[in-house]
Amino acid sequence: MQLRDKTAVVGIGATEFSKNSGRSELQLAAEAVLAALTDAGLTPEDVDGLCTYTADNNTEAEVARCIGAPNLTFFSQIGFGGGGACGPLHQAMLAVATGVADVVVCYRALNERSGYRFGQAFSPVVPGSNEALATYHTFHGLMTGAAMFALLIRRYMDETGATPEDFGHVAVASRKYASTNPNAFFYGKPITMADYLNSRMISDPIRLLDCCQESDGGVAVVVTSTERAKDLRQKPALIRAAAQGSAYQQIQVTNYYTQGAIEFKETALVARQLYQQAHLDPGDIGAAIIYDHFIPTVLMSLEAYGFCKPGEGKDFVKNANLEIGGELPLNTHGGQVGEAYIHGMNGIAEAVRQIRGTAVNQVSNLENILVTAGSGIPTGGVILASA
Amino acid sequence: MTADESAGAQKTHAVECSNQDYDFFYEGLEAKQLLVQKCGQCGILRSPPAPMCHKCRSLQWTAQPMSGRGHIWSYTVHRHPPLPGFVLPHPVGVVELTEGVRVPSGLDGIALEELRIGLPVEAEFFRRGSLATYCFRRPTS
Repeated sequence: MQLRDKTAVVGIGATEFSKNSGRSELQLAAEAVLAALTDAGLTPEDVDGLCTYTADNNTEAEVARCIGAPNLTFFSQIGFGGGGACGPLHQAMLAVATGVADVVVCYRALNERSGYRFGQAFSPVVPGSNEALATYHTFHGLMTGAAMFALLIRRYMDETGATPEDFGHVAVASRKYASTNPNAFFYGKPITMADYLNSRMISDPIRLLDCCQESDGGVAVVVTSTERAKDLRQKPALIRAAAQGSAYQQIQVTNYYTQGAIEFKETALVARQLYQQAHLDPGDIGAAIIYDHFIPTVLMSLEAYGFCKPGEGKDFVKNANLEIGGELPLNTHGGQVGEAYIHGMNGIAEAVRQIRGTAVNQVSNLENILVTAGSGIPTGGVILASA
Repeated sequence: MTADESAGAQKTHAVECSNQDYDFFYEGLEAKQLLVQKCGQCGILRSPPAPMCHKCRSLQWTAQPMSGRGHIWSYTVHRHPPLPGFVLPHPVGVVELTEGVRVPSGLDGIALEELRIGLPVEAEFFRRGSLATYCFRRPTS
């Protein structure tokens, strides 16, 4: 693909520059973004991408929440302080040139004199947008991932009639896969439905056996062109589609404030893009690695990915439907509850093994496998495929 | 005040992890008020706080006192792990106020077996350790 002259900077915006802005860094970011859009003759409704520095205290989701941007299909942060100054523009170029996003705004906003000083011994005292948002919740004792997701899951059960037994089907299937995976922490340790239902409550309705593990480990994957892959050692796993999503008024984890909060709208946004890019529909997906921070969210993700209708996850996961030979073999490495929690990257590695045909719990005749990132937060997904 | 003494020095609440977007909320609790931002232009309420209105992009807003009445939107009972400053099991959730906006809240004092989605509740102000806060309980009347 030719990148030369494909994309352009069409708007610039800024706040005043001072030694004491008198307002939050998030407000500075939102003001600058809005000014740049106005300069361009665009509105927040046009924005589907946001990029900044990892050093910025304002997440893309929080800036989007302020300006009221609709769905984001691209978000990215670049590291290395000032060395990352042109990185967001590079990201924007790639995203727009490839059609991943249409309008990307790059921003950097800081109270670097009144809040903390790069010229002094570094000690940030101004909390970032996410820290202040988190404290709005942790202040009341809503302090763990399990408790934060528990509220959504409680609501999901209330609205759909899903029961602990329904969740148990996913937990039992995952641990069955893990029991035959020598790399899994729970190798040789399957569980029964009774084990699941009797496991102690962590944060109602989340039980111990709903929770992913705490693990140490590392995973990496290499990407190159399909052309070059032909000369390399392994059978390639083609990236048939990849997408990101952050939905309207999205909040990280404690996403309780919009209508239809239990629908995992960010996940559905990723699903729509993946199927469109890949020219596939859910029926073409032969296996899936669904991010299992907490087992009940798997049902909500299955619905968002269109494997069943909203509220019907509880029926889909029954009758060994997630096992080899079922409609959708799921988390064949044992998931993050069974193998290890390497923040989803071990799921990508499992999907590659499935496409290569080298998984310990191998799905036969597999053409397309879905891998998802954590749901209920700005998220992503990929479809890997056989050549 | 000089720039060196800025941000934080004027706070009248004790919540460390706050900033200009959230200070009004914790200051309200010091005065036993549950405050929610109301847009100065289009008038919508917003929670959690944000410096800009997501509907009309106005930066003008006021801190609107809420009635303190509502119902439980969802909840959990935190049982593990131990939480600094909280007695376990700790009920916590999100309350939908009669004004239509939702706020997170401890549900201290509601019997665990009484907890349910839709339960009518009322705000009560108290101190959790040194911090002014609130929880929602069953209405007193």
